[in-house]
Amino acid sequence: MFLKLAWLNIWRNGRRTMITVASVFFAVLLAITFRSITDGVYENMIHNVVSYSSGYLQIHKNGYWGEQSIDNSFEVDEELSKSLLDNPNVTNLMPRLETFALSSFADKTKGVMVLGINPTSEKEVNQLNEKVIEGIYFESNSTDQILIGSGLAEQLNAKVNDTLVLIGQGYHASSAAGKFNIAGILKLGSPELNSNVIYMPLKASQYLHGAGNRLTSLSIMLGKTSDLESSKKAIENSIDTVAYEVMTWKQMMPEMDQFIEADSSGHYIVIGILYIIISFGLFGTLLMMTFERNREFGILIAIGMKKHLLAYVVLLESIMISLMGCLMGVLGGTLIVHLFTEYPVEFGGTLREVYEDYGIEPIIYFSGNIRIFIYQTLVVLVLASLLALYPGYKVLRIKPVDAINS
Amino acid sequence: MGKTIIDAHNVSKTYKETAIPVRALQDVHLHIEEGEFVALVGPSGSGKSTLLNMIGGLDEPTSGTVFVDGVEITKLRENKLIDFRLQNIGFVFQSFNLIPVLTSRENIGFVLQLQKVAKKDREKRVLELLREVGLEEKINSRPGELSGGQQQRVAVARALASKPKIILADEPTANLDSKSASNLLDIMAKLNKEEKITFLFSTHDQRVIEKARRVITLVDGKVDSDVQQKPT
Ligand SMILES: Nc1ncnc2c1ncn2[C@@H]1O[C@H](COP(=O)(O)OP(=O)(O)OP(=O)(O)O)[C@@H](O)[C@H]1O
Ligand SMILES: [Mg+2]
Repeated sequence: MFLKLAWLNIWRNGRRTMITVASVFFAVLLAITFRSITDGVYENMIHNVVSYSSGYLQIHKNGYWGEQSIDNSFEVDEELSKSLLDNPNVTNLMPRLETFALSSFADKTKGVMVLGINPTSEKEVNQLNEKVIEGIYFESNSTDQILIGSGLAEQLNAKVNDTLVLIGQGYHASSAAGKFNIAGILKLGSPELNSNVIYMPLKASQYLHGAGNRLTSLSIMLGKTSDLESSKKAIENSIDTVAYEVMTWKQMMPEMDQFIEADSSGHYIVIGILYIIISFGLFGTLLMMTFERNREFGILIAIGMKKHLLAYVVLLESIMISLMGCLMGVLGGTLIVHLFTEYPVEFGGTLREVYEDYGIEPIIYFSGNIRIFIYQTLVVLVLASLLALYPGYKVLRIKPVDAINS
Repeated sequence: MGKTIIDAHNVSKTYKETAIPVRALQDVHLHIEEGEFVALVGPSGSGKSTLLNMIGGLDEPTSGTVFVDGVEITKLRENKLIDFRLQNIGFVFQSFNLIPVLTSRENIGFVLQLQKVAKKDREKRVLELLREVGLEEKINSRPGELSGGQQQRVAVARALASKPKIILADEPTANLDSKSASNLLDIMAKLNKEEKITFLFSTHDQRVIEKARRVITLVDGKVDSDVQQKPT
């Protein structure tokens, strides 16, 4: 009954209600689109970065992160990979053996990071093969092929098919030295990586370092990347946490996490201003709706309706108006996000060059994360309830005689 | 002697919000029994509305007590009072009594819903009430589609809906032409006779006054005369 009454009431002045609904609609639409773009950019950035580096989650021998040495490596066993892959949110595992070595070619020498990787899984996860700008991607079973960053190639003055000498320290202080053939040169997004990295098939690296079957890290890629913490918990529950440590990318790359946090706080302000503006409109409408019915409220109290029920009707009216706008906004937002996910927008100009330099596709990504939609709806509902507080309070203070005589 | 339904003792009301305090009621005593049909008359500003509001619990007297059906309503807390009104008192105001967005059925049904009457009984009662005031064909009309007299009749039906002991009406006919006014009064008189509902209504209209069986005259906030008469 009260629902029906509230519904009829908001259409007493249909034009005013429509204008208010429209303002909520546009605000929600803008907020969703904006959040979708910014979150999309972040998600894409995170994905790009972690797929080359840490993965969303990473497993080490307990203590490795504190002291990153090959001596803190661990043996992969079938059981570990199996229990990880049993987690439905885990999509890929990337085993790595990460060490440091001196590389020399002719009269040039440089310290480098040597990444022993599984060529197939990296190809799947980060399309490392597509970063090859000269030469070819190596094969899994090759024992002497390496890929090097183009920055490093320049510094060493080395070309495809040249032979590099690597000297480093192996497992338990054994010496690690060998000659390797440059199969390809990579152009990597991160300048840091580009001028420092050498990729080598995992088996070859393990052999070079006398490390048997050992890894320094096992990177994990996730399907639903927003479930970072819960996935971490789930994994911790399924493996031996005395032997292993599980870390999130946020723990391993706190700077990136902080950058995103800082950057998003600016976005919250923009959205906050948007909502403040519509709040004024909604508030004005609610006030008018309440005050112009003062006499009617007086009569309703006289015939036996309790004031809190009247206040409840006012609240319902506020929620109905804003919810209508909100649902339309969510619908419109879904359409927009869907549209731009189907037909991505590529941008051009200098921004495009910057993006390509970093190895990121020059595409505006839209995040379809359901949380954006739920969050906006909740914000609007909370706003509608808060804004109804004052009119509701006014209703509770009505003196029936005064109202009826007004 | 019948059962006392309204008993007001020493009721005074002074409005102090104004520059000069207005003594709207001064030591009014009023005793009305179940089934009476009483007109409250007097010049403008004599305190008729004020007295009706005190009896209906819409406003508090400055001093004095009001009993309605044995309950001292001047002592009730707000929500108790609203509930008391819902169960015992029907109101009809001068005009615009009804919720404009609701039909006659819904306006009357609203009170029944507040009383938590089951839907089936509600439907029956609404029909019954509209028949009593002769408006069953207007069941689905909104107030805007009714004449002033019809609106007042729906308002009477709504006041009756909760089966109250008394109906208080403040100048229910003031905005009506004489035909609608006497029609409304006839309906009220019939309900009074057949359903034993006590009516207390204020009016300026001589023809309406003639239909009452008891006429109480207020002058300057005091009861000036209180006479029984034979209604025409
Ligand atoms: N809210 C108020 N504040 C101040 N004075 C008031 C208020 N309500 C009524 N009065 C005063 O109280 C007195 C009685 O008013 P009341 O409305 O009861 O008269 P009435 O007999 O109903 O008059 P009418 O026939 O014009 O309706 C008047 O002098 C009026 O001005
Ligand atoms: Mg009056």
